[in-house]
Amino acid sequence: MTILRALTIKEIRALFVSPIAYAVVAVFLVLNGYSFVMTLVMAKQATLVHIFFQSAMLLVLLVPLITMRQLAEERRGGTLELLMSSPAPEIDIVLAKFAAAMVLLAAMIGLTFSYAVVLGLFGKPDWGPVYSGYLGVLLLAGALVAIGLAISALTSNQIVAAVVSLGVFGFLWSIDSLAALLPAPIDNWFIGLSLMARFTPFALGAMYTSDAGFFVCVILLGLFLAVRALVRR
Amino acid sequence: MMVVSLEGLSKSYGSRLAVDDVSFDVGQREVMGLLGPNGSGKTTILRILTGCLSPSAGTVRVAGFDVVQEGRAARRRIGYVPEDAPLYPQMRVNEFLAFMGRLRGLDGKKLQQSVGLARERLGLNDVAETIVGRLSRGYRQRVCLAQALLHEPDLLVLDEPTNGLDPRQIIEFRDLVRGLADQCSIVVTSHILTEIARLADRVAILLGGRLLAVRPVKASTSVRVRVPMDIAPAIVSALRTATEAGAEIVEEPQTDGLACWRVRMAEPEGLSQLVARLGAAGIGVVELSETGTDLEETFLAVTSRKAVH
Repeated sequence: MTILRALTIKEIRALFVSPIAYAVVAVFLVLNGYSFVMTLVMAKQATLVHIFFQSAMLLVLLVPLITMRQLAEERRGGTLELLMSSPAPEIDIVLAKFAAAMVLLAAMIGLTFSYAVVLGLFGKPDWGPVYSGYLGVLLLAGALVAIGLAISALTSNQIVAAVVSLGVFGFLWSIDSLAALLPAPIDNWFIGLSLMARFTPFALGAMYTSDAGFFVCVILLGLFLAVRALVRR
Repeated sequence: MMVVSLEGLSKSYGSRLAVDDVSFDVGQREVMGLLGPNGSGKTTILRILTGCLSPSAGTVRVAGFDVVQEGRAARRRIGYVPEDAPLYPQMRVNEFLAFMGRLRGLDGKKLQQSVGLARERLGLNDVAETIVGRLSRGYRQRVCLAQALLHEPDLLVLDEPTNGLDPRQIIEFRDLVRGLADQCSIVVTSHILTEIARLADRVAILLGGRLLAVRPVKASTSVRVRVPMDIAPAIVSALRTATEAGAEIVEEPQTDGLACWRVRMAEPEGLSQLVARLGAAGIGVVELSETGTDLEETFLAVTSRKAVH
């Protein structure tokens, strides 16, 4: 635990001194805040559904900027050799980076809970969809971070890591649109792989174990692939 | 017991064989130099030794632990300074050393003591709170060496440790490393022969991934003395008087009517002393030239032959 704790603290500090992290958080909050205010003023509905969908889209665009540097930079700068020649297990190295990215994203997403507080103070929101929406956003963030880490582990170039992550996220987000071209039951398989199809029930207030299980599986698969990419070759 | 034992080590990247059937041992408190041109497999061997790469064939043991089967136990006994001393530039020196100490299982008072001792030993107290990214190349090399010593390793692995250092820093760093040889075994790579000659007890010469030879390093230098024939009879006794005890004097063929001797001295600095002493003895020398170290001769001789296994 000493090793995992040391690695996690180091990763969190590294993220929070990075100007990229602050830029990501600022863009996320400004766009979501603007959207929240405009919808509230124009539609006068005590709901955060549109915020959850917008947050999901922003995560698809912004998470690559968080994950791109995590292992690619260690590889490029040579510090991965320091980590790999220490007794730290690969799984700890990956888990620490995952945990640090999730701390940053959870803090960023958590700040948008002020919108729910405003709705609670001046209206009567249905709290069920609010909670399920936040759970969905966090699960989606976890899945994206895990995939992004696996991609970052494969290259020493941050830009390559970011672009490939963005491509994979975009493909997984909209893969359900392919289903229209495919015969049954293959179309269902593609719908089942779609991040948007899995996220939508959470945003609308309907939580299914299968959807939560899907995100957990993607997280575990991403972390496994990241560890495999690091394992001494 | 041997601290490092390589047996039939090979490493291939696809069809390219980077290390080919390399075997050697490193004893306790021994400094082993890996010598070879760029691409000879030195760094690959070090990366396998430190657990960063796995071998394609063969076994590597550190302090009795197999680096593949018992990787964590082996890595606990290794301190590694990679080429170019990679560090986290945003960290302060103390913070970095504490982090690396924790990775090696140190904590609490033991960690504080180890960090303090490493700082003291490597003269880092003045920069303890300096951000690593602002340090000079020499200090960064010291910080990287300090992190490798925190857990008092059985084996210190140095990959091209003097690369990029200025002459003064090279001398200081060499003295530091020689001092450490009293506490642990050291494997050091370089493509600079004089550096290895001054650091290592033995040297493994590599070329194209193959081990050509393992030789002891004798810290000596050869000087060629050429004098007119008329004073030749007096020169041998004069040379014996002028050089230190143990110097080897070998007569070489005459050229251009000049008698010629090669004098092998234990101290590389002996050349200037020899000049002064011969001058004081009134011997007129036509030519007095340094011919290089034993290691240079060994390297040239070995690399001109084919690898043998």
